[in-house]
Amino acid sequence: MNTSGINGVIQKATALYETSQVCMNDFKSWVQLDSSHLSDGQRLAVKYFIVAVILFFAQILFGLLAATQFIFPGFLYEILDFSVNRMIHINAMIVWMLYGFIGCVYWFLEDESGTEIVGLKLGNIAFWVLTGAVTLVVLVYLLVQIGPGKDSSLWFINEGREYIEAPRWADIGIVIVMLIFFYNVVATFIKGKWSGIAGVLTLDLVALAGLYVAGMFYMTNITHEQYWWWWVIHLWVEATWEVLVGVIMAWSLMKLLGVRRKIIQTWLYIEVALMFGSGILGLGHHYFWIGTPEYWLTIGGFFSALEPIPLVAMVVHAVYDTGANAFKNSNHPALAWIIAQAFGNFFGAGVWGFMHTLPQINMFTHGTQWSASHGHLAFFGAYATINIAFFYLAIQHWRGDVWMGSDSQNTWRWKWALGLLNGGVLGMTIALLIAGYEQSFIERAVEGSTWGGYFTAQNHPSFQSAMVWRLFFGGVTFAGFVLLVWDLLTIGKGETRLAPEIIEMR
Amino acid sequence: MIEPVALQDFFITFFSSALIIMAGASYALLFAWSKVNTNLWIKIAAYCSYSILILSVMELTRAAQFQGYWLIISLVMVIGYFFAPIGIWYLCVKTHSDLTITTEEDTL
Amino acid sequence: MNEIPLWASETFWKKTAIWVTAGSFLVLVVLTMDSLSKTSAGSKRVPAYSVINKKIDYQYNKELHKFMPVISENELLFGKEYTEQEALQLVDLGKKTTQAKNCMNCHTLLGNGAYYAPDLTKAWLDKGWVSKEVREDMMMRFLMDPEKNARTFGSNRKMPNLNITEQEAKGIIAFLKWMSSIDTNGFPYNFKTINAEE
Repeated sequence: MNTSGINGVIQKATALYETSQVCMNDFKSWVQLDSSHLSDGQRLAVKYFIVAVILFFAQILFGLLAATQFIFPGFLYEILDFSVNRMIHINAMIVWMLYGFIGCVYWFLEDESGTEIVGLKLGNIAFWVLTGAVTLVVLVYLLVQIGPGKDSSLWFINEGREYIEAPRWADIGIVIVMLIFFYNVVATFIKGKWSGIAGVLTLDLVALAGLYVAGMFYMTNITHEQYWWWWVIHLWVEATWEVLVGVIMAWSLMKLLGVRRKIIQTWLYIEVALMFGSGILGLGHHYFWIGTPEYWLTIGGFFSALEPIPLVAMVVHAVYDTGANAFKNSNHPALAWIIAQAFGNFFGAGVWGFMHTLPQINMFTHGTQWSASHGHLAFFGAYATINIAFFYLAIQHWRGDVWMGSDSQNTWRWKWALGLLNGGVLGMTIALLIAGYEQSFIERAVEGSTWGGYFTAQNHPSFQSAMVWRLFFGGVTFAGFVLLVWDLLTIGKGETRLAPEIIEMR
Repeated sequence: MIEPVALQDFFITFFSSALIIMAGASYALLFAWSKVNTNLWIKIAAYCSYSILILSVMELTRAAQFQGYWLIISLVMVIGYFFAPIGIWYLCVKTHSDLTITTEEDTL
Repeated sequence: MNEIPLWASETFWKKTAIWVTAGSFLVLVVLTMDSLSKTSAGSKRVPAYSVINKKIDYQYNKELHKFMPVISENELLFGKEYTEQEALQLVDLGKKTTQAKNCMNCHTLLGNGAYYAPDLTKAWLDKGWVSKEVREDMMMRFLMDPEKNARTFGSNRKMPNLNITEQEAKGIIAFLKWMSSIDTNGFPYNFKTINAEE
């Protein structure tokens, strides 16, 4: 009896495995990607990119669920509560962007250092460990969700701290994996060629990993806890991530547009000086209202006014470059996403950030949908766009450096994906802006931030309709994502013209 | 010490802060463009952008009730956003200067 | 003009980048040490945990030109006077519970978190708890069975049941009371407390 039962299960499992193998093979023959075009490091990078895209999907999916709950509060009540959906929404975002960045670095590591990756096997193990840990963390988020008010909950379920909710065991795992990544980068550069890009990258990764440790501790004193929490969040997003993107951009511009190394590195240093110079003490704009001394109001205000300077530098430089170099580009979708990055970063971080950052107005906008509006445009504009641009560069190389220009097949797909994703996020941003404006006005200023005031603002027709529009544009974003994935899988398929040849012909 | 924005000045605060950044960027853009294209109108448009920036800073200073050392921030914005694009432009020219490329700057 | 002047050279900017980064970071470290010492529990800005034995209010201070917490005579929590150590334990349990229950992904604390539910910074002082006489009891019942004691203010948004035990609920309330005594530089502005006369 028992054995036949087990045999049945085994048979079913084998059948399932075989079906999935068949599906996988069908899929592989459909996408027709030839991995012999990739170096070892690039094959590892591609793994990171694939998980990044899956997590991007999770981000949008759980964002849609949370957005629906704003309109129908009973939706999935006590099954998947808003707190769970929202946690996965923002966690998936942080993690997919990190996966993207790590992928980008592995992508160019061998090219930049001129040698093979030192610990390729270790890198592969680290990838599977990290991916397994991420899966387990998400499963616990979904199935266990919360625990009793004990240390064990913080160790094994979640830490309940926005953006870095991952339980302590995962924190330690993340640090270990980051150290392996760091070792791979530094050791490979040491074995091969050291460069300015390598130097900036190394220092930035030290800061990136070190800062994460600042957010790993439990504290009863909420002022202290929030103080260190912002060290991680702000100094990641508004300093080290920006520099990381700067490094990735520097390498890409050198390779794609043939800009000379000396110029690229000088400008990388300039960017580092401007970004860290304004960004590190820009941390002050998060220390207005958490109990910290009053001098942070001045420091935060002052450095916030400086934070747009790197953006101004970018604008000037872009104009200079278009005058100086005749643009030759064989990857139109990547270029389009890089342009989207310039605009998204400028409006999301620059304009949207400065609009509500001075303490005189932040007194009323703090803790409202204003932050959500700014967050959506800034994260997408500054980081999602650059990752997507790099996905296109990667897929081009994976296809064997084929031409991806205006006369390629099915260009409507990437154009529509670009339009829908950007339009969707912009629409959500505007809807949240209206909601935030109403909230800061009614809840904060008129009603003095009481619970009654909070709900008066939430029940206001303008807020309610803003939430409907936000969900609608969330749907638009999702449509754009579907198209993006379809395009990434098919672009360049069947294209025989090589990119460099076409550029030389012109 | 800060004086929170008054209720009736909310919109103008958001609007003028956004305008500072946008006018600052458009001044930077037009200034840089005027360097590669000698059309006088571009230069005029650049200075128009800059004057919008000054007006926005003045309006923000009023709406956000800046007083005492907070006025330094207004001053820094007015001066900083004027000179930053100029400085960055010269930096662009000089960092690229051992290249044999020709821009209007060189031929002038 | 084929020479790169010093101020546009790679080495100059490399050094500048290092100095700017190191300098800013050093300033941040110094400010951090100062801020941490000025905000340790028991400091002027962040009161000791035994403040839960006291009456807490939040009023406009004309001299300082901002809203400030006002701590005055004894007003015991759950009818008990806590020693500093007991107060620390209770607030600590409450703080830990707010993290284990993931409160921050619906609520904001000190204005940080998610925006699906009200801010908890001054929740202890909120008029929503009707009067000081029924406040503790109402909070306890709400935390332990939020479905039946829902406070939706016409929004239909209900807090889910988070399996909060009685001791944890007490801890959360103590934590909220303590948090409401932190000097947050006048945020939230114009907040009328449960103590204020209509």
